[in-house]
Amino acid sequence: MSTPAQGPATVVCPHCGGTIDLRAAGYSVNLGCVYCGSLLDVSRPDVALIRKHDRAQARFAMDLGMRGTLFEREWAVIGAMRRKDNSGSWREYLLYNPYFGYRWLVEWEGEWQFGTMLLDLPEGDEDAVTWRGQRYERQWDPQVAVTGAVTGEFYWRVANGDRARCVSFERAGATLSREEVDGEVTWTQLVPVDADEIKQAFGLDGRRMSRAPGRSSLAGKPLGVENDDLPYMMLAGLGVAIVTLLFMVFIAGPVDRIEGSVAAPYGETLEGVQIGTLEVRRDWQFVRVKARGREFDNRWVDLDYALVSRETGQATGGYGLVEHYSGRDSDGRWTEGDRRSNILLGRLPRGTYDVYVDAAAHVWPRDGVPIYANGWVAAETLPVTIVAETGGLPWSNWFALVVLLFIWPGLIIWHRIRKS
Amino acid sequence: MINCPSCGAALTLRSAAQVYSTCSYCQSLVLHSALGIEDLGKVAVLPFDMSPIRLGTRLRVEQDRFHVVGRVRWGWSGGAWNEWLLEAGDGSPAWLAEAMGMYLFTRECHALGDDPVVVAFASGREPQLGQAILLDGTLLRATDIKAAQCLGSEGDLPFATLPGTELVNADFRSRTGAALSLQRQGESVSAWFGHFCELVDLEPEGLREIEGWPLPEALR
Repeated sequence: MSTPAQGPATVVCPHCGGTIDLRAAGYSVNLGCVYCGSLLDVSRPDVALIRKHDRAQARFAMDLGMRGTLFEREWAVIGAMRRKDNSGSWREYLLYNPYFGYRWLVEWEGEWQFGTMLLDLPEGDEDAVTWRGQRYERQWDPQVAVTGAVTGEFYWRVANGDRARCVSFERAGATLSREEVDGEVTWTQLVPVDADEIKQAFGLDGRRMSRAPGRSSLAGKPLGVENDDLPYMMLAGLGVAIVTLLFMVFIAGPVDRIEGSVAAPYGETLEGVQIGTLEVRRDWQFVRVKARGREFDNRWVDLDYALVSRETGQATGGYGLVEHYSGRDSDGRWTEGDRRSNILLGRLPRGTYDVYVDAAAHVWPRDGVPIYANGWVAAETLPVTIVAETGGLPWSNWFALVVLLFIWPGLIIWHRIRKS
Repeated sequence: MINCPSCGAALTLRSAAQVYSTCSYCQSLVLHSALGIEDLGKVAVLPFDMSPIRLGTRLRVEQDRFHVVGRVRWGWSGGAWNEWLLEAGDGSPAWLAEAMGMYLFTRECHALGDDPVVVAFASGREPQLGQAILLDGTLLRATDIKAAQCLGSEGDLPFATLPGTELVNADFRSRTGAALSLQRQGESVSAWFGHFCELVDLEPEGLREIEGWPLPEALR
């Protein structure tokens, strides 16, 4: 018997010529080239190019090939992808061990979860499911998750722009996540893992990891014990909220504003369109980037922003999504999505910035150039207006602060109303 | 002992029940039966993969012990998977399908001969996604149906694996991890019933060691 050649296998990218490690040869189907970002089909011995790309995108906290031990088993990071939905974006890493198969690491704003695909499936409906005798309740409304940048190996066909319908169910910190793509459903169990544990297990560079949102020091106070403190708590909360708002306006600083537009092509990415040049006149300023598409339907546009500093050449990136869908089902007409997108880029150092955008338009449910009923091919681009301005205020942070400040007094009031 | 009619090397036969063997030296597919020995042509060389299973690996499912006697690799538009042929001590066969880092262990199931979904499948009509089959009180639903081509083989097998061999496979899954595979090759249809599992659950012995991945304690 001939022994097969021992791994690790490598493939050569047909687009850029780079040599890429194939860490799960025989299982991997798609590979995003780490050098040029091109998408390759590696399921057959002759590697085929699926989509050309000329820029390795996106930075990830974990590098491909990193090894670490989690839950007493060793794992290699073999794939990474960015995904987003209406509430934000997150990163997913595919872990592999030839003896134990695949697992996931999901990172959302510095919080990490370890995912295992389920072989025995939960039972239930859209509101709650039962799995291994325990009840899990739905967390959010169902969301559509869109795949952004992909790099490394995956055991299924993956591509930028893939859409999955996701619903998650929770019980005591553990989550069961249901994803549906083209009628095929997969279930994943997600358990939280401490960021420090991930950092230690994989030897990660802490500076590349997102930090978890700060926890409120107000937590832990016994409920409704010191009744007389309530007016004082409300007053203090109000004071803190106002002072913070004034401080935010003060640090936001002078405003500079540019506006431009981009014609997003269907099915491909238009790269590096310059919107204008923005001046950051304070040591640190927030920059708000807004995008707006005109009347369109059953389309979405992925927007990848880059603010490149003229002084240092350093790029700061962000993601935007304008989308709108409509249709008719048993409940009547429905519409979903927002033709506007509004994101805030965190503190940029003083300097002059060229603002670039990459844009790709997509047709739902299928990629391609839309064709109208009368046979005319629609315009091959979708125009999006983009506005970038300095001096933006981090409203979401402020609202979060207000919620945190009033959560305890609010709970106490609710408690009292219920008692009386 | 049988020698390869093409290159003369001795064929290592792991199963007395299977009549097709792939010569590990020259990739000839050899048909050996009471009627004689025949060279049927060359089989594709299996591409390198990371599978920890190899010919001779021993596995256990409940009380039954199996050893691996052959492998076919099937490719479809969305990837490829391995089907390892297992044989129990009494010569009865089972398949271990290996895909996405998971394993599906199945034995032949004869109880479905008059199920309408199976009858339709046998006459060339594929089931719809979600269509159900009831087997021993277990409800199984069609989760994927694919047409595959043979990408190569090794060891001993019950059918010929020459390039161009085609298979239609319909998978049915239950909530409990039980699964049913309907397979059609030309005119012949078979049903295989079993369950999804992890490699550790099969208590494997004689696994292939993979460079850079020491065999974990749990599998030693």
